[in-house]
Amino acid sequence: MATVIINGKTSSVKDGTLILDAARDAGVEIPTFCYQADLMGVGSCRMCLVEIEGQKKLQPSCITPVMDGMSIQTETPQILKARQGVLEFFLSNHALDCPVCDKGGECELQDMVYKHGPVEGRYAESKHRFHEKDYILSPVIVKNSNRCVQCLRCVRVCDEVVGRNVLASLGRGHEQEETSFLRSRLDCDHCGNCIEVCPVGCFMRLPYRYKSRPWDLKGTDTICPYCATGCRMVVEERDGEALRARAQIGVGINSETLCARGRFGFDFINDPRRLTTPLVKKFGKLEPATWSEALDFISEKLSGIEGERIGGLASPVLTNEELYSFQKLMRSTLGSPNIDSSTRWDPVVVENYIAASAMTSGGLSVFDAAEADTLFVAGTQLSDENPIVDYIARRISAERGTRIIVASVRDMKLDSSAGLSIRHLPGGLGALMKAAALSLYESKKDKLQGFAGVERFEGLSADVLLGEAGVSSDELAAITKRFETSATVALTAGTDLLRQSCGILALGLLSDVLKALGKEVLILPILDRANQRGAWEMGVLPGLAPGYRTASKRGLGTKEMIEAAAAGGIDAMYVIGEDPVGENPSGVSAFDALSKLSFILVQDTFLTDTAAMADCVLPGAFPAEKDGTFTNQEGRVQAMRRLKAPPGDARAYLAIIASVSGVLSSTTGVCTKTNSMQVFNEIRKEAPAYAGVSLEFNNRKNKLNKLDNREALAGASEGGFTPVAMTSCAPAAEQRGEGEFYLITGNTLFHSGRLSHSSPTLTGLQKGAALELSEADASALGLSSGEEARVQGNDYEVTLPVRLRKGMRDGVVYIPEFFPGVSVERFFTTGVSLPVVKVKKS
Amino acid sequence: MNCSCGVGKRIKDFVKSALFLDFIKGMHVTLGYLFSKSITIRYPDEEKWIPYQRFRGRHTLNMTSEGKELCVACELCSKACPTDCITVIPMEDDTGIGITDRVAKVWKVDLVRCLFCGYCEDACPTRAVRLSREYELSTTDISRTKFEKRELLLPESVPEQVHGGGIAKAKFVRSKDGIKIVANLGKMKKMRW
Amino acid sequence: MEKILLKNIDKPESHKIESYIKNGGYNAVREALKLGPDDIIQRVKDSGIRGRGGAGFPTGLKWSFIPKDPTLDKYLCCNADEGEPGTFKDRAIMDNDPHLLLEGMMITSYAIGAAVGYIYIRGEFEFGAKRLEAAIDEAYREGYLGKNIFGSEFSLDMYVHRGAGAYICGEETALLESLEGGRGQPRKKPPFPALAGLYGKPTVINNVETLACVPAIIEKGVEWFKSTGTEKSPGPKIFGVSGHVKKPGLYELPMGTTLRELIYEHCGGMRSDKPLKAVIPGGVSAPLLVPEDLDTTMDFEAMGAKGTMLGSGAVIVMEEGTCMVKVAYITNRFFSHESCGKCTPCREGTIWITKILKRLEEDRGRPGDIDLLEELCGNIFGRTFCPLGDGAVMALRGAITHFRDEFLNHAAHKGCTA
Repeated sequence: MATVIINGKTSSVKDGTLILDAARDAGVEIPTFCYQADLMGVGSCRMCLVEIEGQKKLQPSCITPVMDGMSIQTETPQILKARQGVLEFFLSNHALDCPVCDKGGECELQDMVYKHGPVEGRYAESKHRFHEKDYILSPVIVKNSNRCVQCLRCVRVCDEVVGRNVLASLGRGHEQEETSFLRSRLDCDHCGNCIEVCPVGCFMRLPYRYKSRPWDLKGTDTICPYCATGCRMVVEERDGEALRARAQIGVGINSETLCARGRFGFDFINDPRRLTTPLVKKFGKLEPATWSEALDFISEKLSGIEGERIGGLASPVLTNEELYSFQKLMRSTLGSPNIDSSTRWDPVVVENYIAASAMTSGGLSVFDAAEADTLFVAGTQLSDENPIVDYIARRISAERGTRIIVASVRDMKLDSSAGLSIRHLPGGLGALMKAAALSLYESKKDKLQGFAGVERFEGLSADVLLGEAGVSSDELAAITKRFETSATVALTAGTDLLRQSCGILALGLLSDVLKALGKEVLILPILDRANQRGAWEMGVLPGLAPGYRTASKRGLGTKEMIEAAAAGGIDAMYVIGEDPVGENPSGVSAFDALSKLSFILVQDTFLTDTAAMADCVLPGAFPAEKDGTFTNQEGRVQAMRRLKAPPGDARAYLAIIASVSGVLSSTTGVCTKTNSMQVFNEIRKEAPAYAGVSLEFNNRKNKLNKLDNREALAGASEGGFTPVAMTSCAPAAEQRGEGEFYLITGNTLFHSGRLSHSSPTLTGLQKGAALELSEADASALGLSSGEEARVQGNDYEVTLPVRLRKGMRDGVVYIPEFFPGVSVERFFTTGVSLPVVKVKKS
Repeated sequence: MNCSCGVGKRIKDFVKSALFLDFIKGMHVTLGYLFSKSITIRYPDEEKWIPYQRFRGRHTLNMTSEGKELCVACELCSKACPTDCITVIPMEDDTGIGITDRVAKVWKVDLVRCLFCGYCEDACPTRAVRLSREYELSTTDISRTKFEKRELLLPESVPEQVHGGGIAKAKFVRSKDGIKIVANLGKMKKMRW
Repeated sequence: MEKILLKNIDKPESHKIESYIKNGGYNAVREALKLGPDDIIQRVKDSGIRGRGGAGFPTGLKWSFIPKDPTLDKYLCCNADEGEPGTFKDRAIMDNDPHLLLEGMMITSYAIGAAVGYIYIRGEFEFGAKRLEAAIDEAYREGYLGKNIFGSEFSLDMYVHRGAGAYICGEETALLESLEGGRGQPRKKPPFPALAGLYGKPTVINNVETLACVPAIIEKGVEWFKSTGTEKSPGPKIFGVSGHVKKPGLYELPMGTTLRELIYEHCGGMRSDKPLKAVIPGGVSAPLLVPEDLDTTMDFEAMGAKGTMLGSGAVIVMEEGTCMVKVAYITNRFFSHESCGKCTPCREGTIWITKILKRLEEDRGRPGDIDLLEELCGNIFGRTFCPLGDGAVMALRGAITHFRDEFLNHAAHKGCTA
């Protein structure tokens, strides 16, 4: 600790703290442009100069660390004059086109000049202009260099946080310009973090260009509805139209960063095709109806059906309150145990995944995982699926030297920050983790005498496992060496483990071995739907009740419900926000199965394929149109607020569930709460893990830029449950023949799920799916980038353009999930998690 | 009590009333106007008052000599407006390919709320908004009190080049579009204030 | 006085290793290898030699900051980015006596424990770079560079790196940044290069002339070195005289020679009969001196006392009739062109000053221009990241102080009165 005197006030701060941070801590604001808490200091803007006793020259406070006993002045006449001088220099070549600048009104330069600047401008020379018109850098970024203040935040955020490194300085002196190579179009993540950090209107959003002024916008705190990272952001609207989403520095785990989906993908909310009124099927056709008509219709139809013959399916993008109310409606009002929250995952696999990734023991901060000695990123295409976790890992590994190991089938951006990148065979992750566990066990056998579960190693041979994983023994040795030399090991449990269930057992084995070796093991689930973890914790699973308690009666999962529907086992379905027909899970055709039902009730925002065949469709609301909470993958419970009313007659799902419950049940107060806080208080009672969660802190901006608010992490769940044992754990792969490829799937950087395809900006960034394969495979097939290829499975085939990937394993092709026109799910027949396809030039 | 009544005063009053002196004094102003030039403006049938240049009437939006709108839709007028009567929504000009200029998609003023203070004029960085000399705003149709950009961009009936105010010969024209008072600015009598 | 720096440059084939050895070269390094690193550093410290690049930091002290940890990689960088207008001393050594520099670098590397030496040479010095590369090849051939030099444990590799034409790369941290392949912009200090320099490793950066003095210190001894020059600035110094003198050129003289002696005795006086108007004593970033200051001695202390600096010893002499506004304009144009763009005051300030001076020079001045210039100088001085901005301002301030009337006349559209 060091004691410093700032403006006469003594305070004590950690050694090595920068003067600027120490001053902010003490409540003294020092103006700055180039300083940004997460970025490396450059000390170039010279706004933050302070006087240090005993030093003749003014010192930049953003790169000077405090020393014990330092006496600092921040408001002397000399400093005020220096600030004025620097601001005058900034303005001398600044374009001063504030009236047409999109940043006008929220510009740091404007604020700074207003607060500290000179009263009059004395610059009467010609201004240097880089270009006459703004130019487009990417489909979402537009650039005006004439306004630049050369703080280099854009270059640093691109390099240090995002890891794309596509921006740099051109020219020298006053001709220096931060832009892409020769101002060409950027081939980057289009995340727009350069826009967010830019203090002036130099980098601007193209979709928001000339749409509004900041003072017209009304914004509210919400959470990104795409992946499960749980990024906090502010969505802003004008006259009912959501115009932009932005992140705030110091708020949420993401601070100022977002990915392309989060920052530009919120415009789905303005889609004119959204449902605005309830629809009821009359004479075989869906017709608009009033709410009371629709509710009467539902009551009439559902009351005749026995509870157990109703299936319930809710989307993992609903809030905790909606999911909780829904499961309560299904289980107690309707008396049906059949409830699930995904069309993709098998509930038994999910239960094992929950147990293996230690979700029941409470939340784990992503910062703890990133600050571990070794971070083993496996089972996820992290840089594409959860970009913010990738940013956090990159930034922290550069800062604290976390060793990152990436194990994946395809190359990813995090490779550049990883000390070790392993490309294993598809479906080989389980074998790789088992091999690592085995090799750790064998090298330390004497230390692990009493290791429980030795029998799990029986019949395992390193050579066979390495063959299955497609990894060399040197690579394995490198992994185990890193594990051995680390005190804390963080393992990620990505969604690939849910796809290939084999990995789940291997993850458990590896973590047990590491724990037995005395290491602290942190398992970070990496999920791809905003409230997937919340849905599980709310008990929207056939076997689990809220708070990870075993359900009193085990019901049917999604696949079983569809099979039951086909076989006449159930009569009605209640679907919220999901589209089993459009997503078409494997096996029986969902369309044929659902056609046999006597009643389908759908709550959704769009007329999906399922909604189109429903008997009654109720229009729902998106985040920003409702209050509620999401639980992200870490177990962090975060609140979001309502910004605007849903369009037309649409209502929040919670209100709809309450109304449906109201007309179905004669006993009042079953789940008729429409206030999300009331429901959350009920959740606190039902799921003890949520009892201590604080929601208040979430919306407060933290002065010290501490992003990790642990009060929001869910606690450990009591009771516990025993997952249903998985029947088999052989890699469910077909044998690959000559000229055939393994097919893998997943999300892309710009699209996850159906929602993103309603966003015009994201569709503009990536419209259709592409077939990704390695360069060697492509040249063997005579394919080059952009050419069309025909992919043939057992009973489905599709033609896709080809995209080459340098760092992908040979013998594997990748097609993304949920793209319109490409039903990649149909390649996955029941029981096969790794199908084999033929690829031909078309 | 001290009384000022006396014989002298009574004689003085008698002479005054005999000669109607008070009456003449009282009529002096009236008679003066009887023979001076008339200041009545025969509005709207024959004449029309043209306000002085600094008069603040209905808004207009100016254009450059090439016919390009000066307004860049910065919304400063609407921000400066004390009664919130101006609505501006910007957009990107669709005349060019790619990046073009900022223009107003909507520039609307609600004259019922406007108090003609002229703050919008002061706030305008491009001198696009100006309060013109249009003052014939009375209407029986409430929708006619809201003016859109399209109308505001039309040339003023009294161009800026006409200096000073005065009374112009005018014609009262009734047409299917409504009533119009067409002034002949060439024959304008300067007014002395 | 016995020359040590320029002793060989007139000799035939002086750049060849044979010629250098014939003239007693590479004896110092043999001697140094016998001495041991600590001893060499102590000797250099005792000699009191100060850096010849401009700042005048004691060389021995700089070397002693290098950590003694033998497991740590260390580097020696020779700063041959001679970019200061008026300076041409290092080029003479590199062109004509490259082995003197190599010998100095070998001794220094041995002293600080560096196994690699880099010569960062200004990009425009193509000839010098070729000469140095040829010299390094010769030295490798003769076994003076490479593994186990002279049979000792000491190994040294040396590389020539050509800059890309930026004045700022003469600043030591910008030089390192450029040498690493980055953008030539200064880094924040601390950490100083002695602790974290090239590739984050301890690094010594010395000027060519400084390194060229080292063999003499070892060979002829500390006392001999201290016998020339002044007490606080000992040793010989190369003065590069240019401008309106009869015999411009390089003069190796003891530190502490007066300006008068340099100009009127060694350089043969003024070019024409016009009297002297001003002298820039140490490259264009040094404030100028006027005829009254001619008896100032050329050493770090005396120059500092006069408010200017010895800098690189580039003396620019100007006769009566030289327009000082034009001098100021040209100087500042140079600085604004060479400003790296990192920090605001230097980036925006130098170009602003240049624009004002250009107007003044073209007689398009405005009232208050001179006051504005002085205020801008105040806003730049001491607020910049590196000394480039300070240098630009100091030179201009000096010119305005001494020739204010001339500036005012330009501002008042009275034309040049010089």
